[in-house]
Amino acid sequence: MTGSVMSRKGLLFWVLMIIVLITVLFPLYWILITALKTPLENILPVPSLFPKKVTLENFFSVMRTGFFKNLFNSLFVAFTSTFFSLVLAFLASYALLRYKFPYKLNVLFLIWVLIVKILPPMVLAIPLYTLFTKVNLINNLWGLILVYQVYTLPYCIWMLFGFMKNLPLEFEQAAEIDGASKLKTLLSIVVPLSSSGIAATAIFSIIIAWDEFLFALLFIRSPSLQTLPLKIVSFITEYETLWGDLMAIGLLATLPVLFFSGYYYKRLTEGFSLGLK
Amino acid sequence: MKKLNKRSNPAFFLLILLPALLVILFLTLYPVINTIVLAFYKYNYLSDEIKFIGLKNFFTIGSDTVFQTAFLNTLTFAAVATVVEVGLGIFLALMFYGDFRGKRPFMITVIFPMMVSTMVISAVWKVLYHYDIGLFNNILRSMNLEPVGWLIDQSKALFSIILVDIWQWTPFAFLIMQAGLNSIPNEIFESSSIDGAGYFRNLRSITLPILSSQILLVIMLRTIDTFRIFGKVYALTQGGPGNSTETVSYFIYREGFSFFNLGRASAAALYVLIAISIIALFYIKGIMKEDM
Amino acid sequence: MKKKILCLLVILSIMPFITFAGGAQEEDGPVTLTIAGRDGAYGDAMQLAADEYKKINPDVNFEILKLSGSSLFEKSVIDMKSGVGTYDIVLIDDPNATQIHKAGWLADLGPLYKEKGLTLDSDFIPTLTQLGRYPYGVNGTLYSLPLVGNVELFAYRMDLFEKYNLAAPETWTNVLEAAKVISANEPDVHPVLFRGSKGNPIVTGFLPLFWAHGGKVLVDGKPALDSPEALKALEYFLELAKFAPEGVSMYQSAQVKDAIYSGTGAMAIEVWPGWIKNLDNPDESAVVGKVKVTKHPAETEKSSPMIGVWLAGIPEASMHKSAAFDFLQFLTSSDMQEKMADVTGIPPTRTSVHEVPALVEKYAWYPAQLDGLNNGVARPRTNKWKEIEDALGTYLQLALIGEMDAKSALMEVNARIGEIVE
Repeated sequence: MTGSVMSRKGLLFWVLMIIVLITVLFPLYWILITALKTPLENILPVPSLFPKKVTLENFFSVMRTGFFKNLFNSLFVAFTSTFFSLVLAFLASYALLRYKFPYKLNVLFLIWVLIVKILPPMVLAIPLYTLFTKVNLINNLWGLILVYQVYTLPYCIWMLFGFMKNLPLEFEQAAEIDGASKLKTLLSIVVPLSSSGIAATAIFSIIIAWDEFLFALLFIRSPSLQTLPLKIVSFITEYETLWGDLMAIGLLATLPVLFFSGYYYKRLTEGFSLGLK
Repeated sequence: MKKLNKRSNPAFFLLILLPALLVILFLTLYPVINTIVLAFYKYNYLSDEIKFIGLKNFFTIGSDTVFQTAFLNTLTFAAVATVVEVGLGIFLALMFYGDFRGKRPFMITVIFPMMVSTMVISAVWKVLYHYDIGLFNNILRSMNLEPVGWLIDQSKALFSIILVDIWQWTPFAFLIMQAGLNSIPNEIFESSSIDGAGYFRNLRSITLPILSSQILLVIMLRTIDTFRIFGKVYALTQGGPGNSTETVSYFIYREGFSFFNLGRASAAALYVLIAISIIALFYIKGIMKEDM
Repeated sequence: MKKKILCLLVILSIMPFITFAGGAQEEDGPVTLTIAGRDGAYGDAMQLAADEYKKINPDVNFEILKLSGSSLFEKSVIDMKSGVGTYDIVLIDDPNATQIHKAGWLADLGPLYKEKGLTLDSDFIPTLTQLGRYPYGVNGTLYSLPLVGNVELFAYRMDLFEKYNLAAPETWTNVLEAAKVISANEPDVHPVLFRGSKGNPIVTGFLPLFWAHGGKVLVDGKPALDSPEALKALEYFLELAKFAPEGVSMYQSAQVKDAIYSGTGAMAIEVWPGWIKNLDNPDESAVVGKVKVTKHPAETEKSSPMIGVWLAGIPEASMHKSAAFDFLQFLTSSDMQEKMADVTGIPPTRTSVHEVPALVEKYAWYPAQLDGLNNGVARPRTNKWKEIEDALGTYLQLALIGEMDAKSALMEVNARIGEIVE
């Protein structure tokens, strides 16, 4: 990016930037200080902007409840289901883009995927529960990974389809003329060209799987297999909300994803400046 | 749409399509058919009473005031949230376009909200919105202004929830938009500024058309997601006050999971499906402009 | 080519349903009991009982799910219906008991008692064991045992009542009088607290005063909300609600509890034993020694607190019924109930445990609680209660926020409930 664009960033820009940052960060700051306050301070009639007494007790108490096991489960499920979705969705999107199947299969497939994405998950949950009990995939992280494809696969297909739509055909044709096999063309040309799209899709898919609650609730029974959202909700009980614990686990659960966002940003900017010009 | 020439081997394409096709069919064929069939039955999962009643579910739900309100609320939610998120997303993408000091950390910060668990987000906003002890009203009171019934005023509760959604998901729109924007070669901007084209004319005649596929994508994905809005409603208002924050997916959840009236829940789901399909049709047309 | 593809698709889409038609596996070796239970203090209590039980029976393992009320219902219903036998013990909220008992998903406890040579202990509070029978009453088949003796109580600030020389809240009229005085003199205190959220919360807050005014939800299975008593009760409720916090229509238990604990409320027309156990703990409460918890006021009818008992049953599909039954006996025994009450504060379901001196000293409201359990009112026994409660909750809230007047709200909800029970 060159200087002519740089010069636009004047005072107005920085004022806007500060407003944007405050809007974004304030609720997050509130999560942080709530996690650092004592239970009594969290229900005071006039909320305090800074904790009067900082305590890490909330974090310790969350960690004592088996947080790391749940963290591992969430990481495993989110990344594995995203991996499968990405591979399947990438292959499918490419096929749909580059080949006209008979019976209008291309359109039919995309419409079906869309329908799946639209359907409220509660509608799918009961029939799938019955199905999964028969194949012993209840209370099993692999079962959860499979069922998450209901969310992540349609998402990935639509996102990748949207990204790859703009891929130029010429490189593939050239490779074909050079006698490269289809698979080789796919791996050595199409994948690098769409890497930014893949990265973007991956993070959204991870977020979806990371945040999913309904299927996790129904399909997981052992506390040792629970994912983080189930854990998080357990701090909102019928009689009380353990504000400190809730916000502490909310922060802890967000850190891994935040950690990832730096890498993601890098991939995104790189990918696009190389890819779609 | 660009296709490879017809000589190419169909088996290869079928082979790479199949895995996704199989997984999707395995997970959805039976449930979807089940939903369509059950919509024509009075069926309670708990008591097992099942009776074919034709279109009656559709009539009773269609005339149910709660469902009507829920439907209207959902449309409002989807429209407002999507438009604002796309608008702000484009705005932020333009603002972040180009290079400046600290771009990377700023960008990473701006996309934070979409990475925090929905449950935690809802909880923290609920605290901030609290009429008595919430921070927003405390600030208003300290400035001698009337406190606002963020979640307790029927005319505002829905918009308070929409605000949370906007806070959480504008980063998503922003990311997609800025990715699209970065794919526009700089020269276009430069050449047009040499031409003396104004910033806004530039925006309208060059930037937005180039972003059109990204805009369509975001509109589509956000519309669908807002149509399924559930977690925030459940955590913030449970559909109240009155019916002012009822949404269709909350309605379906209650019919399906609290009362286990699967017939009614299915019929309501089909209504949603039809509504979204109409929106989706435009999208599919847009994305597959050429053949197919 | 086209035909081939089509055939392939059809076969492949049917395949999963055929290949995976296998059955669930039986477990061998030491028994693992899986319990679908509640979160919060209930969860702690269940964990405590399981740990104690394991000390005596080392070859029994436990897997305890601690879920919110609605999650527990969804999860346990879907599982029991599918007949897989995932759970060996399930907790049931008493208004759902009729539905679940009627569906035949729980094992009849009678034969299990006989097998072990035991009988149902008469120490259980009689009104509570009736809830575990289907049909409801003394003669029904016993499907579940009362585990948690929840009953609504009434809480008020003694210091404020003394300060303004107010009559103790023995009738609802007294309550309204007190609210007026406190409202006039204490600008920073909300005179009345309750849960005004849609659905179950507002109904729960409303029912005790509704019943005390002589109202009934169902009479002979038909809705009876068009009665003059019902109207009187709702009008009273709306009058009282004027003294509740501005945001009461969004209050749930957390907000009510926080308001009591922080000292910003004078009277809570509804508290549950689980909310109040830390009231005298200075780390959590700003009103140590100032709040009295007692039974509900009367009006034209006697004090009518609502019973909300958690029952424990054994699913018919469980593969470890005998082991589950042994644990259930242990769980509901007086020793264990005493321990659970002492450590976690959950209210017992046995008369004798309510009279243990140490507990009465620790929890001053135990006599009121026992009285409430013996004389309290259970919600109507119908398999449509959830839907009725939802409708009632919706219209009560419409009246509360001023969208509807009391009379039309009652008329409309009466008609709606008529449709539901039809």
